[in-house]
Amino acid sequence: MTKLDIQSGQAAPRLGVPDRDALRETLQKQGILIAFALFLVGFSLMSDRFASWDNVSTVFRQVSIIGTMALGVTVVVITGNLDLSVGSLLSFATVLVVDLHDQIGPAPAILVMFAATLLIGCVNGLLVGYGRLNSLIVTLGMLSAIQGLTLIYSGGQNVDIADQEGTWFAVFGRGFLLGLAVPTLIFLGLAVAFHVMLTRTSFGRRVFAVGGNPTASAFSGVRRARVVFSAYVLSAFTTACAAVILGSRVMGSQNNVGQGYELLVLSGVILGGASLLGGSGSIPKTVIGVLILGFIQNGLLLMGYPYYAQWLVTWVVIILAVWLDVASKRGAFFTRTS
Amino acid sequence: MTAFTVRTAAAACVAAGFGFAASAQDTIRVGITQNNVGVDSYQTTYEQAFIEAAEADPAVEAVVLDAGGDVARQIGQMRDLIQQDVDVIVIWPTNGQAVVPVVRQAHQAGIPVVVTNSQIAEAGFDFIASFSGPNNITQGQYSAQMMCEALNGEGQIVQISGQPGYTTAIERQKGFEDELAASCPGVEILETQPGDWNREKSQRVMENFLTKYDDIDGVYSGDDNMGVGALNAAKAAGRDGIAFIGATNFAVGYEAMGRGEYWGSVYQSPVEDAKNALATAKAVAQGEDVPFLNYFDTPKITQSNMDEFSKPVF
Repeated sequence: MTKLDIQSGQAAPRLGVPDRDALRETLQKQGILIAFALFLVGFSLMSDRFASWDNVSTVFRQVSIIGTMALGVTVVVITGNLDLSVGSLLSFATVLVVDLHDQIGPAPAILVMFAATLLIGCVNGLLVGYGRLNSLIVTLGMLSAIQGLTLIYSGGQNVDIADQEGTWFAVFGRGFLLGLAVPTLIFLGLAVAFHVMLTRTSFGRRVFAVGGNPTASAFSGVRRARVVFSAYVLSAFTTACAAVILGSRVMGSQNNVGQGYELLVLSGVILGGASLLGGSGSIPKTVIGVLILGFIQNGLLLMGYPYYAQWLVTWVVIILAVWLDVASKRGAFFTRTS
Repeated sequence: MTAFTVRTAAAACVAAGFGFAASAQDTIRVGITQNNVGVDSYQTTYEQAFIEAAEADPAVEAVVLDAGGDVARQIGQMRDLIQQDVDVIVIWPTNGQAVVPVVRQAHQAGIPVVVTNSQIAEAGFDFIASFSGPNNITQGQYSAQMMCEALNGEGQIVQISGQPGYTTAIERQKGFEDELAASCPGVEILETQPGDWNREKSQRVMENFLTKYDDIDGVYSGDDNMGVGALNAAKAAGRDGIAFIGATNFAVGYEAMGRGEYWGSVYQSPVEDAKNALATAKAVAQGEDVPFLNYFDTPKITQSNMDEFSKPVF
């Protein structure tokens, strides 16, 4: 697959000058999309099951949890911050909504869970936004703190929903609408909403301003603290949505169910080309980044590769994607600056 | 986690105080450092059962500690127990390799060590008095026998294993595969992928298996938690006639068995696990002859005999 990409890159200089510029521009802007397409073609050639509707819809459903979380994290990353607490937060929210489901009913359980989860998002937002503390340290600390909170709440017990067939709560993780899985619809629906928010509203512009040029945005009257605070609340919101999907899909929850998800989410966001320095990133590309991760796992499994190959390949793909992104921006694979 | 730490710290102080006050001539002082109480229901129930069994036995006085999954903290707790000069130490290793040196220190200090639930690395075998726990190889063999019976010795199955690198996962997989190859050659394992003890991950793996294979007759999962995830996937895809065999019977697995959706599992009680550990420690402290590998019984549980077992608490 890399070979193909390099070939297309080498083919470029032979074309006329305007075409070459156009191609370069396309490569720069849509590098991740092209890489994604190459992946799909490669996997389709190697496994006849890969390109089936069943399989594609399965992968969309499988990535919907990680993907939904990645939407909020993308906003946080664009502001120039990190959110490593989302994995723990997912465990907390899922345990809470599943446990409360049998005690107070589905709708109140969802409401209480959203309130508690958003509250934790507010704590992150207060510390990073208004407290101006380093986001890596704050959210890494919150990762442990929330895991502890989850264990205290549950006393270490797994929680399960007793009436798995009868509850309407099942619709979020297991339902279908017009032939599409509800988790996929939630994920893509939220993606559209977040995309519109980031590209068509003044809040979206402030998010990019705060991450891209904090000084200039401060002089322009953008309140950094408020924007960062909102970003963390949005991140908690998408994690809460993901918890509803996860709880409904599994109909139970382990205390550490979200462990490690923060890195998967962040991988998807980075694959989508969002800069960890802030100021850049886009929802459609994050969606593609998450899909790439999902299709790699699915494709390698369909081809019968062992799990360690998946870890290795996932890592290689992330490095390659980031490298291609950087290389296309600076026009070279290596720099000579010393 | 804070609550547990505070509680265990308090327990340690109280126990230490008692130790000095009563000088403990008649009672056997058992110190235990657990892996990570509260992280799952099994370990939580284990701790409760251990404390109950110790309280019920007037000859035993227990110092109950929990490492919270932290190797460094567990090494510190081992040193504390050596300092307190307890009669016997029970350790649930956070990491089979990393605790070997401190187990050796206890051995050198003349305090016998009993390893519970998960075995330590072979380098430490000379320094421990006994291992008390489930025989995961046997559990894997039991599951293979049940699979063979469920499929009448003929069929294609997939395996969803536990977290890669975990002794429990490795041993169950080995016991299962060896027994199946030896006594049931008609059943073929199409593929094995890890489910990381995670129900959602297992569900995803099974969805991919169902896409990949048109004919799956059976699924073996390293524990029921993952087994129920696989069952969820099969039900969602409308695929019937798959025999689900697990290990470590969970409440969800027990219930699915009651509904006739889950074929069988291996019944591993944390209460038996804890009682066996305490009994082993007591026997070792009293100088009795104890087998080096002191397993407790983990019987097969299937739809037909599940009435004989109470529903697991986890």
